[in-house]
Amino acid sequence: MEHVFYDDNYVNENLWKEGKQRMFNCTDFHGNLFTCRCRESAFIYALTSAAVAHSVARACAEGSIYTCTCDYNLKQPDGKDWEWGGCSDNAKFGHKFSRKFVDVIEKGRDFRYMMNLHNNEAGRRHVTTEMKQECKCHGMSGSCTIKTCWMRLPLFRTVGDLLKDRFDGASRVLPGRRRRRKFTLLPANTNHKPPGKKDLVYFEDSPNFCEKDTSIGFTGTKGRECNATSLGIDGCDLMCCGRGYKSESYTVRERCSCTFHWCCQVKCKVCTRTKIRHTCL
Amino acid sequence: MAGVVLETLSWKKLIALGILLLLLLLSFFLIGGLVAPNPSNVMVVLGTKCLRKGSHMQEEWFIPFGGNEKCDSINSVDEDRVYDEGISANQIVFSFWLPYMRDGKQLDFSRWQQMLLTVMQLDIQYDPKFPMVKGNQYNCSLLAFFELGSLHYDYYLINVRVPVEPYKGINMEIGSLMDIWVIGIHQNGGFTKVWVSIKTAMFPIVLAVLIWFWRRIMMLTRPPNLLERTLFSLGIAMSLLNLPLEWLTLAVDMPFMLMINDIRQGIFYAMLLCFWIIFAGEHIMDQVERNRLKHYWKHLAAVIFGCSCLFIFELSERGVRLTNPFFSIWITDVGTKLALSFIILAGIAACSYFLFLCYMIFQVFRNISAKRTTLPSMSSARRKFYLGVIYRFKFLMISTLFCAALTVCFFIISQLNEGQWKFMDQDLNLEYTSAFFTGVFGMWNVYVIGLLCMYAPSHKNKPMETDETSNEEEVQLTHLPSETSSVQAFAAKAAAD
Repeated sequence: MEHVFYDDNYVNENLWKEGKQRMFNCTDFHGNLFTCRCRESAFIYALTSAAVAHSVARACAEGSIYTCTCDYNLKQPDGKDWEWGGCSDNAKFGHKFSRKFVDVIEKGRDFRYMMNLHNNEAGRRHVTTEMKQECKCHGMSGSCTIKTCWMRLPLFRTVGDLLKDRFDGASRVLPGRRRRRKFTLLPANTNHKPPGKKDLVYFEDSPNFCEKDTSIGFTGTKGRECNATSLGIDGCDLMCCGRGYKSESYTVRERCSCTFHWCCQVKCKVCTRTKIRHTCL
Repeated sequence: MAGVVLETLSWKKLIALGILLLLLLLSFFLIGGLVAPNPSNVMVVLGTKCLRKGSHMQEEWFIPFGGNEKCDSINSVDEDRVYDEGISANQIVFSFWLPYMRDGKQLDFSRWQQMLLTVMQLDIQYDPKFPMVKGNQYNCSLLAFFELGSLHYDYYLINVRVPVEPYKGINMEIGSLMDIWVIGIHQNGGFTKVWVSIKTAMFPIVLAVLIWFWRRIMMLTRPPNLLERTLFSLGIAMSLLNLPLEWLTLAVDMPFMLMINDIRQGIFYAMLLCFWIIFAGEHIMDQVERNRLKHYWKHLAAVIFGCSCLFIFELSERGVRLTNPFFSIWITDVGTKLALSFIILAGIAACSYFLFLCYMIFQVFRNISAKRTTLPSMSSARRKFYLGVIYRFKFLMISTLFCAALTVCFFIISQLNEGQWKFMDQDLNLEYTSAFFTGVFGMWNVYVIGLLCMYAPSHKNKPMETDETSNEEEVQLTHLPSETSSVQAFAAKAAAD
């Protein structure tokens, strides 16, 4: 399962991007947030399943993993092979794989599992709805009597951004009536409409993330870097929960005034700069 | 034209033949919809970014996967290694191997898959210098890559380099190229098998009917008239289209197959258009003796002009690709203008053709309404005969319109169906596009067979030719079929309205 390991980096990288500006910092959690039923865990579930679907689809296209199946287009009892009907789309395979691989952990009949499955599906749905259809005509003399279409995979960053928006608008739900082993998800606020397929849902309010919380393995915001000038959540006032912050200056050597051609021929100077770092007390 | 089979055929036989042909038509649609897979399939391959180590002059191929043959690759152009080792754009080779790997096995192309055409899609990262509305990536349009008219080999390896030439200014301002995707479209082997089977089955049938038709004509004492010759040519064009040349591609490399198929199809449709014009013209009931090709020169010139425009376009697009598969007429400005002008000229020719055809049908209709007034003055037996003939003509003409309507309907359905991308597999898999192709192909076969059978000269003597020999009567008789067909055309028009 090398590609899933690769996924892990994928997710971490994104979580880090999102979490850097928030109270919760994903590198602080070491996986324990999965056990919480809060808004943050909903985001992690959705992002993970989306990342699996996306990266497996991408890896299949690159041919870098061996587990991709052909998943023949045509349901034929015999003669079902690549020569007959070709292989199905990578994106379809990634979606199916994510469904099998990520959802398999959620086996219980508990309300929590229902919620996790919902969030997983929401994550995958963002991948599929962000795909764009492209077509090519290749009929007689290149006319459109035959048109073949395929789906263009979105950048994962786009999916991550959308999920972040869903994270901000996630709704708290309560278990509703039980229908055939499944709970319906009812919004906690009765004025809200029930959550849609792409909405993230959570059950418990988030811990305030100010203090250390061993139950979820959170180390608190002590020592976190913050932005002194920002009034938002990444600003020192909110991030440090009013405990104050200390400022220190440090010097750093980094690449600067870089110029590059189309990809990677980067010509940089190395500059020495003095920066100020604020950390929460 | 005196005494075609249609006029002397009994009702029972006519209905039986009609039902037989309809069943044949239905089976074509069903074969396409249920047995054949989608006509073509797509393969999206992401390029592996290989690193070239040697000197730039060295000819070298990079293989994206495999054991020790696999090239040294990077995952992303902004990973640390690129900065640490100072890898330049000139060292990166995008490597593609078609077809890709599935189920842990290397797939290989089958010759049944006939053709491969590819499109390139570039992922260019956002650069603050070139702002855009939304998103993280530019929405780059697709680039036509190459087109192969035959899939003779099992594998195809593609290496793409985007070298930077600072002094010539090549590839300098294209943004940060993150990935190249190659989308390969190939025909499905299953579809080719079904398609070739249909052709192999229909070729001898149409040929047999054609031979029977020509023998009937040869048995006559008079030379064949224009309509019969046109019909015979239509049969030949149909047989040409039916000729299952695809069998040869399994053994021989035939990159010109795509072009040959286009040309065969073009010849058939041109012949069909000519047939309609001549058919309508031969049934105008005025006193002009046509029966010669030169009376139709205006109409035929429109067809020939339009077709030769399309033929030149075909030669300059698919013809040039025989020597250079990467060529496309659309990439240069001059080429685009040239291609567009040919297509527009062909369009003008098509429009003038349809104006001619409509005018001719209008003429037939006008003459018929004039002749119709004389119909009640005829004897009752004769009128009965006339009405019967009218009805049979109606049958044939309705089937023509039915064919045309069916083509249009199925085309629209298959286009709509193609437009919606089904994400999940459905239980009932009806392939509309395949059904459209086999159905329309079978339909024109059935149509030509029907025409050849109905319009072959009959052996039976017509009852009214026994006693009356006056000159006036003969003139009326020679125009008999046209009268009926125009009545029919009118009926069809009314129905369409």
